[in-house]
Amino acid sequence: MFFHIVLERNMQLHPRHFGRNLREHLISKLMKDVEGTCSGRHGFVVAITGVESIGKGLIRDGTGFVTFPVKYQCVVFRPFKGEILEAVVTMVNKMGFFAEAGPVQIFVSNHLIPDDMEFQSGDMPNYTTSDGSVKIQKDSEVRLKIIGTRVDATEIFCIGTIKDDFLGVINDPTTI
Amino acid sequence: MSGEEEENAAELKIGDEFLKAKCLMNCEVALILEHKYEQLQKTSDDPMNQVSQVFEKSLQYVKRFSRYKNPDAVRQVREILSRYQLAEFELCVLGNLCPETVEEAIAMVPSIKYFYSIIKCGHPHTRGRAHDDEAIEKMLNDLSLIKKFE
Repeated sequence: MFFHIVLERNMQLHPRHFGRNLREHLISKLMKDVEGTCSGRHGFVVAITGVESIGKGLIRDGTGFVTFPVKYQCVVFRPFKGEILEAVVTMVNKMGFFAEAGPVQIFVSNHLIPDDMEFQSGDMPNYTTSDGSVKIQKDSEVRLKIIGTRVDATEIFCIGTIKDDFLGVINDPTTI
Repeated sequence: MSGEEEENAAELKIGDEFLKAKCLMNCEVALILEHKYEQLQKTSDDPMNQVSQVFEKSLQYVKRFSRYKNPDAVRQVREILSRYQLAEFELCVLGNLCPETVEEAIAMVPSIKYFYSIIKCGHPHTRGRAHDDEAIEKMLNDLSLIKKFE
């Protein structure tokens, strides 16, 4: 799910930027530093939408750098266990398939794909029901439920399932 | 913030910080990101080079999965859903997935069932199921009307 939240960060600025454009320098540095990063707590920072306040700067001993506490609003993407969302399939193999929902990768193991769907290898590997009516392959859109998340310093990775009511393929790229 | 083990969106356990935060539907995120992208286009020749991979992927994703494209419709969806005293998170899941039946809506957002009974009568499980379903059904009807007239 996407959220609009307020975060705070201490920004260090080199003395050469002190002057009329200090604020602009600070904000462009903030965007460069923060946008595109990921933390386990807040998820992926997609875009900064505004700066709420810039606090008083504090000179660091010995370096001359100044630290400013900056409060900013941003759009973040944070997946939650139990959340249901839509995703695009990016890779299919006999272990299951990978899907992407915005910046996050989700793996759906073949144990969490309905039992009536069988893996078919070939140049377009896919999972298909025995009657051939439903097919999951690269670029399919699926609705899945996140059942687990793994967080490391710079990435969030999810495990999902489509073995539940109202989950599974939304549309099949071959039928459009 | 609650521990990792306790987190469960189906029961609306997403941590206090996010529960109180403003949630955004995919269509709203699309409006925000497209606006930002347009601004970048004005100031630089190659805007795709300026944005992070996270931004690019998110933009593609929300464009692909936006149910409502027109900004007025997006505003209406939020307005209508906010009449039903939903939590922000529930509101956005419903707006994103647009369930068609009451059963589907409850499967997508299991917490609405429980939430509704608390809001309406002060304590859970005293109100009959039929009434809850009725309210949810009305909400889904309102939503599908917006889609139809968009």
